[in-house]
Order: sequence, then structure tokens, then C-alpha cells
Amino acid sequence: MIKIKDLEKIYRTEEVETIALNKLSMEVKDGEFVAVMGPSGCGKSTLLNILGLLDDPDAGSFIFNGIEVAKFNERKRADLRKHNIGFVFQSFNLIDELTVFENVELPLIYTGVKSSERKKRVDEVLDKVQIMHRRNHYPQQLSGGQQQRVAVARAVVNKPKLILADEPTGNLDSHNGNEVMEMLTDLNEQGTTIVMVTHSEHDARYSHRIIRMLDGQTVLENIMV
Amino acid sequence: MVKNYLLIAIKNFRKQKLFSLINILGLTIGITCCLLLFLFIFNEFSYDKFHKNGKDIYRIMRVGNLNGNRQEIPYVSAAYAPALMNDFPDVIEKAVRVMRDNDLISYNNISFNEKNIYLADSDFFSVFSFNLIRGNPGTVLKDPNSIVVTESTAKKYFGNEDPIGKILQFNKSQQLKVTGIAKDVPVNSHLQFDMVVPLELLKSSRPDWFTNFSLNTLFTYIQLKPNTDPALLEKQFGGFMDKYLGNFFKEIGQKMELIAKPLNKIYFAANAFDSVKHGNKKMVYIFMSIALLILLIACMNFINLSTARAAERSKEVGLRKVLGAVKKQLIGQFILESVLFATLACFLSIGLTELLMPAYTHFLGYDLPSFLGNPWFYVCIAGIITAVGLLAGSYPAILLSSFSPIESLKGVLKVGKKGTSFRKVLVVFQFTVSVILIICVVVIIKQMSYIKNTDLGFNKEQTMIIRFDNYDIASKGHQFKNELLSIPAVQDVSLMSGEPGGFHDSYPFEAEANPAEKYLFNTEFTDMDFVKTLGLKIIAGRDLSDQFGTDSLQAALINRTAAVKLGYTPDQAIGKWIFNTIRDSIKRTIVGVVEDYHFASLKDPINPLVISPGKDNRLALIKIKSADPGPVINNVRKVYSSIAPGYPFEYSFLDERFDQLYRAESRQESVLSIFSIIAIFVACLGLFGLASYTTIKRTKEVGVRKVLGSSVQNIVLLLSKDLLKPVLLGALIAIPIGYYAMNKWLQSFAYRIEFQWWMFALAIGIAITIALLTVGVQAIKAALANPVKSLRTE
Repeated sequence: MIKIKDLEKIYRTEEVETIALNKLSMEVKDGEFVAVMGPSGCGKSTLLNILGLLDDPDAGSFIFNGIEVAKFNERKRADLRKHNIGFVFQSFNLIDELTVFENVELPLIYTGVKSSERKKRVDEVLDKVQIMHRRNHYPQQLSGGQQQRVAVARAVVNKPKLILADEPTGNLDSHNGNEVMEMLTDLNEQGTTIVMVTHSEHDARYSHRIIRMLDGQTVLENIMV
Repeated sequence: MVKNYLLIAIKNFRKQKLFSLINILGLTIGITCCLLLFLFIFNEFSYDKFHKNGKDIYRIMRVGNLNGNRQEIPYVSAAYAPALMNDFPDVIEKAVRVMRDNDLISYNNISFNEKNIYLADSDFFSVFSFNLIRGNPGTVLKDPNSIVVTESTAKKYFGNEDPIGKILQFNKSQQLKVTGIAKDVPVNSHLQFDMVVPLELLKSSRPDWFTNFSLNTLFTYIQLKPNTDPALLEKQFGGFMDKYLGNFFKEIGQKMELIAKPLNKIYFAANAFDSVKHGNKKMVYIFMSIALLILLIACMNFINLSTARAAERSKEVGLRKVLGAVKKQLIGQFILESVLFATLACFLSIGLTELLMPAYTHFLGYDLPSFLGNPWFYVCIAGIITAVGLLAGSYPAILLSSFSPIESLKGVLKVGKKGTSFRKVLVVFQFTVSVILIICVVVIIKQMSYIKNTDLGFNKEQTMIIRFDNYDIASKGHQFKNELLSIPAVQDVSLMSGEPGGFHDSYPFEAEANPAEKYLFNTEFTDMDFVKTLGLKIIAGRDLSDQFGTDSLQAALINRTAAVKLGYTPDQAIGKWIFNTIRDSIKRTIVGVVEDYHFASLKDPINPLVISPGKDNRLALIKIKSADPGPVINNVRKVYSSIAPGYPFEYSFLDERFDQLYRAESRQESVLSIFSIIAIFVACLGLFGLASYTTIKRTKEVGVRKVLGSSVQNIVLLLSKDLLKPVLLGALIAIPIGYYAMNKWLQSFAYRIEFQWWMFALAIGIAITIALLTVGVQAIKAALANPVKSLRTE
């Protein structure tokens, strides 16, 4: 699914040059559940952003589903992204002005799904994450765990091949955190590829493989048994 | 997708009540200004467009030379029309003469001095498309003793009776039969009449009018045959003028051309001295630009507040991008939001316009046609919504949609320095416009008060004007004067051809100074009491007097300017001769020189004037002794009624006469005052929004500063300074522009004020004070807040 070779990303400000990714290479296979770990500033988030087609690398190759996407422009990236990738964030990132239903519906709007179909699919996925009873509430009326469940629902409503999770349990207590991890595991078992950035060894254990990063490079890979 | 956008827009609107209200209020005010002006402008440009033959109708005008300036003269003699028809039968379809008159019209016991009577040729209603409710346009004026009245005039005389066939008495002499009823003349017609009478009626009493080519009597309109080029006709006018007026031109020493002015050019003709309705295209454009500027200021508020709040929406933008939205979609979303604002504001504006309509028409002095039935109104609305939506929405849309999703989701987005300085530029612009308007208002007010307080060189207080607008009073002017003088409270009475501020003829003169030259001087034909009644100052020689039996035929006064023009000092002028080549048969001796006085508007320099005894009395000036004019007026009324029975007694006062001369300027003054108040209000509205936003943003900073010991004053200063800088800069930029604009405006006055530094200082002071109050309220609120509380908000 993902094949990265010699990926480089450098951030420049007037005074400082920060190498976020330094000739990084890695591979994620279809149906894998990969955890990315490492200290703050090691380039995890940059990697996730590039994998999510939110950012483009300065050099190197990125093959997504057999297509070289490293040089894609914004339009093409957006197009690829909305059909193939779902995101789960540490801070949920739900739109406060929209209800639970409307938040989850949003990706379907951008992929041009018809209204009746949207309603069906949103309800389906809300049911799956057990938040149906809250469908007309606003994010600020929900607990953190509930909010993240909505975020997961939003990430999967489009049936993406890949889910990118950026510390999905970072803002949750352990009970709610475990619930979210269970949900991700379920999704993975149904065939969705998952790449998750995390600080938590506990969460990482849900994955098949841990990629450890330092200074923009992978230093170690643990295969989970 | 649009539904989702709308949803977000509405929810945002509700969430940000203050900003939404500022935006809506500003846009509503701006759009309302535009709508009101659109209605005015639409009406202005619709003048005379309703005539079916309009494109073939022209008004014949002479072009003369008045003191070196080209002057179009709309009045020609009644002899032109038949001569034109006779000489150019292949080109001219019809010719219609129109003469405005006032006449006494009576029916049974009611009589009115009708001021809007048109004496016209019988083709009047077939050339012009004034609708007839009753009567046939082609025949309604065929009978010389017929009369056509408008609907409301008919009501005035006949109430609910059928007017057709009724007999109206014309100047107590002729009987006219009502043969037609016209719909009331639409507002947007330069010709405005209440009654139309056949011109034929005058043929017996004024036969010379119909043969003498040199008179200024009436308007002549020609309708050309379809597809005729008027230029070809105009080429032949030179020969036409020579044929009929060759001798006259030799006599007066100058030639005149003849032109055909298209009907649709008449309304906007500049300095036409005819008595028809005119518009001022320049004013139309100025008002239009100001309305657009106010709308622009409102749009800038929208831009400013949207970009200032951009950071708050960055999360939404980032998220939408993550979910697959492309830039185009986001731009679309934000533009849709501003279009929504504009639409809402437009609806409110339509309501507000409807509400303001009565006050507006009162201000304009005439009714505007209903706008809700005007399809162009909706085109205008759609245009405004699109323009405002794009104008106000595009910059914030482009800015917001350009946010990187990563940064915006992380919340580290800096809406960089670029956004801030752009906002400042907009504030600078807003206050430049506002201060320019204030400068204009200050200068206009000052100039108008200068004009009102300038010594005009004569005494205009307590002086009644009675116009000799009917034969009875005109023929017995001297009897009227003598009877008035027997009223104890009447100090002086003088009969004259033109009152100060009114019309003064110009005649070619020959003078002893240089007998070969023709001097075009203004004239005043009057009696021996002119100087006394107006309180003029004789600076050389003596006043006209009955004691010198020869004065009435052989003496004249001139003003100082005329003496200078002839190359004399006032004293040298005495005893020299001067000769009115048209009116007089013998030379007159200059017996006195009067100090210059403003017999015309202060917009014009004082021209040379010759005051001579003459029978051409068109009005009486009555100087009153007592402080309370009431009883005197009653006595004057009695005298008038005994001399001109049946004619309504009408009078005015000389000081009011001068105010009328500056009506256009007074209107400019009030319009600009209103506009500048609106402009600064809308600009401050935006400033208020920005101020409240920045204070919220800097709550923590204020808290820290207070904890560290900063005083309230320091904090207020700190918060105000940033926002006031662009205001001050805007005000400074306004100075040269305001100076340039008002300097141009002042050029239209021969007598004007000088610019003084305090005018600009005052304008800037007003703007800064208002801005300071706006910003200060927010700053003080922030500075007074408990620092513990403000720190906790983080």
C-alpha cells in the first residue's frame, strides 16, 4: 500500500534549518497495522502528514497504491486523499458548529455522495461506534471518548483503505483510550490499513509492527507477535 | 454541499453575533445609500425617454457669445418655426413652438394665477408623447380657443364634474373650451405644464412676435423625418440665419449660430438659462461615487473582520482540507458566506429604503416612481449582491483557503504580518474617505456662511418683491407705486426690470471711450428711486432724479466695474456718453457711478451694469419701515387687489431671493453632511469590531502587564495606539485630496473663502475623536478587567 524511499523533508525558517525527515524509507503493506513511535521532534508527525497527502516531501519517492504521489499537486492529493484516507487526531478536530451527524457526513459531501445515501451511511457508522443516540448533539456536548468515537466514525464513513491516527488516545483516559484502540483493531481486522503515531507503548501493542524513529530516520522495527 | 455551507454560515453568524451585526449593519447602510441613489440616478437618466418620437426631436437653439463665453440660448422668436418648415420641408416633419407663461384662469368664481401654462402649436401632443386621457392628440388644440388641462388641474377647477366642454376664462378676456385632459406630466420630463393653450391665441394681440426674428420668446422643437442626420440640417443653418437675421447681426455687431439640440440632451444641459427642469450630471456622478465609497467602506469592514477572525476558522479550514476539500471549494464556501451576508443586507436595505422613501422624496422635492415595479431595480439588487459578495468575500476566502491544513489543525497558524498590514491599509482607506468628506462639509459650510454674510453692497432687509405678472398690474405700475407710497410703513418703492439676484438683460452698448467698440453690458431699467430703495452708494456724480427733466431719456448710472471697463475712474466717467444700440434712439450721459453691488449670484464676478430710467418694469421692490411686516403686507395686498382685481396677490422677500440662488449648494451641503456622517459611522463600526477583537486577543498580554505593574492609562494607550495609527494616516492622506476637491468646488464661486489650516485640523480632529471614543471604550474595558480573570482565560 505504501512504499517510501529516501524521503526528505526540511523545514526552514530565517535562522534555523530543521531536518524533519532524513532519507527515510519504509513500507506498509495492505491490511497492516503499524505504530510509529519516537521522541518529540523525531519527525513522526511530518511522516504522517506526508503519508496523509497533507504535505509534500522535498525529495524521495512515495508510492501510494502503486502510484508515485510525491510530486502530486494539491488538487490531485486532495482527490486521492478524500477517497482513500481517513484521519483520527489526538484533539478530535470536530467542527464545533456542526452536529455529530453533520460532522460525520462531511467527508461524504466532499466525495459527492447523494444525500439519501449519505444519511444511510452516516447512520450506519454512527451505529457501529455506538454514538447513534447522540447524532444531533454538538461536539462540546460530548465527553472526550464520545468525541473521539465520532472522529473515528468520520474517518471510516468513506470506507478508506488507509487510516492515519495521530495519537488517537492522547487526550483520553485509559478506559476510553482502550475503547478507541479496540475500534481501530476491529477496523484493521476488517481489512483497513492503519498507521498510528503514538507515545504509548500500551497502544503500540495493538499494532502488528512498531517503527521507531529518531532524528528523521527509522532506527528500529519491532514485529509484534 | 451548498446546504452544508449555508448551515455553517448561519451557525457562524449566530455564534459571532457582534461581528455579524457589524457586518450586516454596515452593509445595510451602504446598500441603502446605493439603492436610494440608484433610484435618484435612474430617474435622472430616464428624463424625456418616454417620448415615442424622442430620437427625432430636437430643440432649436441659438449660440451666442456672452462676455467671451459660448452661451446656448434656448429662446427663439416665434417666426423661426414657420421659416424652418418653409426652408427645410424635406427634412423637418413638424415644428412645435412652446411658450411658458403665467396667466389668470377663472372658472365661475374661482381664479388662479397659473404659472405653468404652455402656449403651444397644435402639434404639441402629436410630437410629444404626453398621454391624453380625453381628446385626440392631433386635433385637441386645433381650435384657437381650446385648452387642455392635466388631470389634477381639472380637479382643482371642476372637482368631480366632467371637464370636457367647460369654459375657462383666460386673463379675464378670452373664453377657452376644455377639449382634452392630459395625464399629469411625469416627473421625468423637462417640460412641465398644468395647461396647454394654442399659441394662435396670441396672434391678434402680439402680431410682431410672429414676424420679428430678433425676439427671445419661446422654445421651438422640431421633429425630423425618420433617419435624418441632424448634422446635415445644422450645416444649412448658417445660410438660414444670414437670410433672416443678417441685418440684425450687423446692427448688434455679433453673429449667432443655430443648432439642433437632441431632446435627450436638454435635461443635462449645463448652465442653460431656460425655465425648464434641469439636472446636474456632475452632481449625479459625485453622489454616485460617494454612495459607492460608503458601500466600499462597509465591504472593507467585512474583509477586516473576516480576516481578523481567520485564525478562529482555521481549524475548520484545515479539517475540510484533510477531508478532501480543494481550495476552489473553500473559496466557494467563503464567498457564499459573504453573498449570504450581502443578500440579507439587501433585504434589510429594501425595507429601509421603503421606510426612508417619504423623507427622501421630501428631501428631493419630488416623487420618485415606485421602485418595486421597476425591473431595473432588481437587476441593481442582483448586481449589488454579486459585487458585494465578491468584493467582500474574495480576499478573506483566498486567505482562509490558503491555510496549510497541518498548521491550522495544530493551532500554530500565524495569520502573519501580511494580514495585519492589509487590514491597516483598509482602515487607512476608510478614514481617508471619511476625512475627505468631513473636509468637504467644513469647507462648504464655511463658504455658504461666507456667502450668506457677505455684504452684497445693497440693503436686502425688509424688502418685498411683487412681480408684474399680469397685464393689469404691469400697465398700472406707476399708479401702484404711488398708492403704495401713501402707506405710512412703506419707505420706498422702485419699479425695475430685474431685482438683485434676478435676471438682468445684456445689451450691446457704444461708448464715448471707444465709439468703434461694442460693449456687452448688463442692464437695469428702472425709475428714479432705484438707488434709494436698494441703499446703493453713489461714488461719483449724482443719483437719477425727476428734478432733471431730461434724466428719463438722457441719463444713466453705471457701476464701478463698468467705469473700469470703459477705462475711466468713477470721476472721469461723469459726463461721458453711452448708447444702448437696441433700446435707445439717443445717447445717454453718465450722470453718476454707483459702488459695485452683487446684482447676480456670488458665483459670478460683478459685471458691468448700466442703470437707466425705462418703462420695462417687471416688478416692484417695496422697502418697509416697520419691524413687523404683517400689517404692511395686508395694506399692500389691498392696493394690489384694487389695481389688479381677480389676480391672486403673491409676494416674496429679497433676502429669500438670494437664498434661492444657492439652493443647489445648500442641497450639496446637506447631502454631503449626511454622507460624511454615514461614512464615518460605518468606518467606526468596523473599527469597533477590530478593537473588540484585538482586545480579546490581547487579554492575556493585558493581564501579564497589569500583574507586572502597568497602569490602566498605559494599557489604554497601548491598545489604542495600534488602531489609531492607520486612522491618523488616513486623515493625513485626506488633506491633499480634500484640498484639491474643494479647491475645484470653490472655483465655481467668483467670491470665495481661503483655505485655512484649521479646516483640516477640525476635520482630522473630528475623525480622530470619534475613532478614539470607539477604540477607547474597548481598551478601557480591557484595561479595567481583573488581571487574575484575564490570565485564567488561557
